[in-house]
Amino acid sequence: MSKTNTSRIPHYELLYIVSNKFTEDEVKPIMKKVTDIINNRGGKTTLIEEWGKKRLAYPVKNFSHAYYVLAEFDFEGEKVESIDRDLRMMSEILRHQIVSKRVKTAEDIKKEKEISQKIAARKEKEAEKEVKETEKKEEKEEEKKKGKVDMGELDEKLDKILETDDLL
Amino acid sequence: MDIIKKEKKCHFCVNNINEIDYKDAETLRRFINSYMKILPRKRTGTCSWHQRKLATAIKRARVMVLLPFIRR
Ligand SMILES: [Zn+2]
Repeated sequence: MSKTNTSRIPHYELLYIVSNKFTEDEVKPIMKKVTDIINNRGGKTTLIEEWGKKRLAYPVKNFSHAYYVLAEFDFEGEKVESIDRDLRMMSEILRHQIVSKRVKTAEDIKKEKEISQKIAARKEKEAEKEVKETEKKEEKEEEKKKGKVDMGELDEKLDKILETDDLL
Repeated sequence: MDIIKKEKKCHFCVNNINEIDYKDAETLRRFINSYMKILPRKRTGTCSWHQRKLATAIKRARVMVLLPFIRR
């Protein structure tokens, strides 16, 4: 995962795809080439994540599958476009995209934690409420049943009374 | 009724998601119809702030071939 840095160096996320005309072993040197491009332009790679071979959502240059690679890097230079241009020159890369990524500060993480705790507490409360409501429902139903029993008993009693009446 | 009510809440607000990750195609898929068009806010309950972020994420996902542009 991306590390939190206090100095606020602009952070970027690069996703690129390599067509499956290459073997898995051939992808490694391509990945090395990409890292070299980032480093040569003054960037610092902080993360590389291989997603492996994936089916493409639509064919690109007649390829239906490609290897996905994710890379994150810090880059202080003004123009991240220089990296973008270099990558476009790489014929091995089918497609790529660089997006700037906000690095979470310690404060951000703290805030996020607080909010998620609040959400969890609210969900718990809601769940409790639901439990109480179902309990109430069940109680009511039981009372209803009791009522029915009572009515049954009453009927019996009435029958008995009537029976005795008959006897009289 | 309960399901409809729940769907009317913004998924990203409820789950405290500020940055919508374009790489999470599975989540994004829930916000496009079978013609691969972005569903309107009214339909999904997404707030306008997140709908803008969602549109950007879906466009980025399409560029990176994680989501289709049109139905094949
Ligand atoms: Zn929202």
